[in-house]
Amino acid sequence: MTGALRGYIRIIDGFNYRVGRIMMYGIFVMMAILLYSSASKIMGTPSLWTLEMAQFAMVAYYMIGGPYSIQMGSNVRMDLLYAEWSTRTKAWVDAITVLALIFYLGVLLYGGLASFAYSLGHFGGSPIAFFSELFHAFFTGGTEAAGEVLGFIERTASPWRPVVWPVKFLMCIGVFLMLLQAIAEFFRDILRLTGDAA
Amino acid sequence: MSYEMIAILMFSSMMLMLLTGQRVFGAIGFVAVVASLLLWGDRGGYDLAFSSAMKLMKWYPLLTLPMFIFMGYVLSESKIADDLYRMFHVWMGGLHGGLAIGTIGLMVLISAMNGLSVAGMAIGATIALPELLKRGYDKRMVSGVIQAGSSLGILVPPSVVLVLYAMIARQPVGQLWLAGVIPGLMMAALFVIYIAIRCRLQPNLGPVLNAEERNVPMGEKIRLLGAGLLPLFIFFVMMVPFVKGWTSLVESSAIGAIAAFLAAVVKGRMNRTVFETCVKNTLGISCMFMWIILAALCFGAVFDGLGAVKAIESLFTEKLGLSPWAILILMQVSFLLLGTFLDDTAMLVIVAPLYVPLVGELGFDLIWYGVLYTITCKIAYMTPPFGYNLFLMRAMAPPEITMRDIYGSITPFVMVMVLALVIVMLVPEIALWLPDYFYNK
Repeated sequence: MTGALRGYIRIIDGFNYRVGRIMMYGIFVMMAILLYSSASKIMGTPSLWTLEMAQFAMVAYYMIGGPYSIQMGSNVRMDLLYAEWSTRTKAWVDAITVLALIFYLGVLLYGGLASFAYSLGHFGGSPIAFFSELFHAFFTGGTEAAGEVLGFIERTASPWRPVVWPVKFLMCIGVFLMLLQAIAEFFRDILRLTGDAA
Repeated sequence: MSYEMIAILMFSSMMLMLLTGQRVFGAIGFVAVVASLLLWGDRGGYDLAFSSAMKLMKWYPLLTLPMFIFMGYVLSESKIADDLYRMFHVWMGGLHGGLAIGTIGLMVLISAMNGLSVAGMAIGATIALPELLKRGYDKRMVSGVIQAGSSLGILVPPSVVLVLYAMIARQPVGQLWLAGVIPGLMMAALFVIYIAIRCRLQPNLGPVLNAEERNVPMGEKIRLLGAGLLPLFIFFVMMVPFVKGWTSLVESSAIGAIAAFLAAVVKGRMNRTVFETCVKNTLGISCMFMWIILAALCFGAVFDGLGAVKAIESLFTEKLGLSPWAILILMQVSFLLLGTFLDDTAMLVIVAPLYVPLVGELGFDLIWYGVLYTITCKIAYMTPPFGYNLFLMRAMAPPEITMRDIYGSITPFVMVMVLALVIVMLVPEIALWLPDYFYNK
């Protein structure tokens, strides 16, 4: 049992660490986009796409980089009482309250999937049913059948009008990775309580 | 259950969750989604959580946040501010308390480059603090000066706190930044006056440099003035295109971050370790801010949906019969009390959505309130037992400065800041004159 927990923690920690190490260079992507944007404005030919592109880059930066920030312990806690507790008490309380975090991320993920489905033209009902229908169509009838399932593709209301679904997809992935990391934190607390340091 | 009751219940369960020490964004987000699921069922519940993520994405000025965080790390980690400190050291050392006054000057320059107070704190604690202690300055004086000075970072433009405030209050960032200029400089001047008077009365707190150290050739003095060009350069590279209307606020902040980075590279201070620290910590701190704001936006949306602000307003004005000014003063006082035990970022995003619409309902100018809000935040950061600045100071200061010294050191400076707050409350023109002058020509 503890072996399985330990294995899960190792895999998720390792994966999110590598993803985070890549995402942290996203700051330079944002800078480059914004620099290009200022240059194009000063030249007198402002580009249409930079504003939204920079926003998309930032969303990817903090959503997908989020799990690494949990690993680094950057997410502040209010340590009025927390700082005074023993390691064991901390693990006890954390093991319970991290469930609240998991619940929040779960709701956020479900909302994200619904919104993702919306951006692909699915307006009501369960997003899960929609995606399973989509996958089913794709694997039985290929891309054409999958295209039939899709409805109106959402675009943003800007002159550039990019499709919205890729960024929503990235957000779902980010929240999902956060969820995996939060579960890893939960397992770590359990291991601490059973006496095996993870 | 009445809406006031729901609002109070939500607020108190959030406080309870925060006290358990769970990550702040998890605690806030959990209360928000549970409340919205109970109030509006499943569809409304999960839509609300995710739509705040979309709202956050569309809020363009927020991009300045990672830029300033990165810039702050570059400035403090690469130690390019050393020369700046030397400049003040040489020019101000001859006065009683001159080095302390010079440190305030240093902080004003750093504030003009960066929008967070952490950068000033780090530079002050690592560069100015050891030098001042070596010269026999009183340790309480020194610790107070650095904490008070670094807090100018969030009032002098560019300021990240005002960017966040602008998002919540739906006010233009440019006007808010201009509104912060004169109060920020006024506060720096008040600090300087306090230090000068105190050191004149008690010269042992801030001794004059000995003759040997004062005897710096004029050529060297002039050369050191060149160090002052760096912040001016970064400030102008950032602000001129913005004020001229060539670039937006966000683009300017990116230019500033790039300028600071290039300055560090040119000065040969950007090695692998510094680079690594800057990039990694920028991700960590940006994520912390973004996820808290994300959760707090969701919390705020539930409050909005309840009409809780309207309910609280009618409770104050109709049931208790208070005048708008009495309510405003009560709010500032309660804000200060909350600030003593709430974490700074949490306070920023939790208290503001509650207070700011209420101030608007009462008919006050929201640009002016932005300045009051920022000064109050600054005071709250510095007041024990829970001030973010106090902990930062503890983490950065040498061991001979105890927690007791740090707590003791801030009292006079907090009093000066309260004085500044009162002045800006009584004379709103201090904040409003500059934005009016620029935008209503």
